[in-house]
Amino acid sequence: MTVAPARRAVPAARARPGRSRRDTLTGLAFLAPSLVGVGGFLLAPVVVVLGISLTRWDLIDPARWTGLDNYRSILGDPAFGRSLAVTAVFVLLVIPLQTALGLAAALLLDQRLPGSTWFRAILVLPWISAPLALGVVWRWLFDPSDGAINELLGHRIEWLTSPALALPSVAAVTIWTNVGYVALFFLAGLAGIPPQYGEAARIDGAGPWQGLRRVTLPLLRPTTFFVLATGVISSFQVFDTVYAMTGGGPAGRTEVVAYTIYREAFVNFRMGRAAAMSVVLFLLLITVTIAQQTYFRRRTTYEMG
Amino acid sequence: MRRAVLTYLALSLAAVVILAPYLMSVQTSVKTPRQFAQQPPLAPPRPPTGENYAELTVGGHTLIPPLVITVQVVLVVVLGQLVCSVLAAYAFARLDFPGRDAIFWVYLATLMVPAVAVLVPRFVLLSEAGLVNTFWGIVLPSMFGSPYAIFLLRQFFRAVPQELLDAARIDGAGHPRVLRHVMLPLSRPVLATLLIITAVTHWNDFLWPLVVTSGARWEVLTVAVAGLQSQYQGNWTLVMAATTLATMPLLVLFTIFQKHIVKSITITGMK
Repeated sequence: MTVAPARRAVPAARARPGRSRRDTLTGLAFLAPSLVGVGGFLLAPVVVVLGISLTRWDLIDPARWTGLDNYRSILGDPAFGRSLAVTAVFVLLVIPLQTALGLAAALLLDQRLPGSTWFRAILVLPWISAPLALGVVWRWLFDPSDGAINELLGHRIEWLTSPALALPSVAAVTIWTNVGYVALFFLAGLAGIPPQYGEAARIDGAGPWQGLRRVTLPLLRPTTFFVLATGVISSFQVFDTVYAMTGGGPAGRTEVVAYTIYREAFVNFRMGRAAAMSVVLFLLLITVTIAQQTYFRRRTTYEMG
Repeated sequence: MRRAVLTYLALSLAAVVILAPYLMSVQTSVKTPRQFAQQPPLAPPRPPTGENYAELTVGGHTLIPPLVITVQVVLVVVLGQLVCSVLAAYAFARLDFPGRDAIFWVYLATLMVPAVAVLVPRFVLLSEAGLVNTFWGIVLPSMFGSPYAIFLLRQFFRAVPQELLDAARIDGAGHPRVLRHVMLPLSRPVLATLLIITAVTHWNDFLWPLVVTSGARWEVLTVAVAGLQSQYQGNWTLVMAATTLATMPLLVLFTIFQKHIVKSITITGMK
């Protein structure tokens, strides 16, 4: 929706008399460093990854052109299929829970009781700690014999080595890390809602639950969209936590796509296959983003006009 | 009243769940491996020992070199990213030149590129340039500005009233001087925000340094902690001391600049 006015702005800018040769030179000089960054490390890699994905290459012998072989190979590979499924399950476990808990935390903090700022700060702590270090800490906490969780439960559970529990455990740690961060955005969203709306609903006889469902949530939709969109994109790429907690095990049950790409490229040195997987991940994320955007734009226009 | 009590109860429960892993890992880090092996995992350390921290600072498994490298990486990336992003944002916001809007849309489009998807080609490009396992290999991909920072700064620069800039121009100031003496002083809050977020992101970064370096020479803190963890599986007292050392500097900074950092996260919405 912002595309249209900006396109129209181009001819207008062209007609402006203020443009000088000096402005042009300064402008290009100012842009030069970031062009190196954006061109060299974002745009060029997108082209390069497409190229590599059409070759067979182990980084030592020269790359050999193989056309679409890698795509055929990975799409027929049950391990890659499983990796995509694991990632999807991970996203489906993490996103609803972290969004709901983040919203709940924000509603609690939004009551602005004395000390709220401290609670808010505590909730954000995991977000500024290295996911790798936190993953290592949780690996110990989940350890069957030496870990704190089983001691507290008084019960031996193989959290990270049981096929059924490993992925939910990793997801739980990710949720634990993100809740405070998600809450911050909902808090900012709540602060933007004029208090009169809630009062009007209350006067009309709405209870707190109804007020939340019919007034607060619809008004929070832009925030919800932001939180969901960024959350989905980052959880699709989860790596550090998995690396630290399970290394993809047991038997691939926590091997998410980012981990498979890493292993394929930097452990097995099959750059072509890893590149093809990267392209699939890229396409998948673009599709998800566009789908989310379409869904939310429609809903937002209907109800907020 | 009842509602306030319930709110405090829920918030306290959340705070305990968040803080407990930190406190338990610190407690484990001040035990000797012997104490840890002989007692239940949550038994208090009697007496607490600094043995593990000594081992990780002046001992055989020192984390000081990775710490120094991490600090250098963060400094170079933060400085580079701020300078390059400021320059680009000023060009987009305040200068008029052919292709400006088209280039800006390309920059915006790159926000869609997922970091994991460009991991392999970035490695290949740096490997062709002979920069794998060098300091520059770690910092180059992120030191030339980020599209998000540019976007954010551009919004900010556009909001500065034209009269202020005109006044400076009439006094004979060129663009570099306007940028330095008018724009930057006005943008201190957003610059502080970007500084904090960039520093946190790169202090905690793991995947890229893991891929682009090998061996001890250019090991950053996160990679060193991961290495220690896999090398000393089961030696949890040493490993917990290492995770504590890796997270502590940011936690201390966070406690000091708490309000500003919380605000920064909401402004940028990025990590």
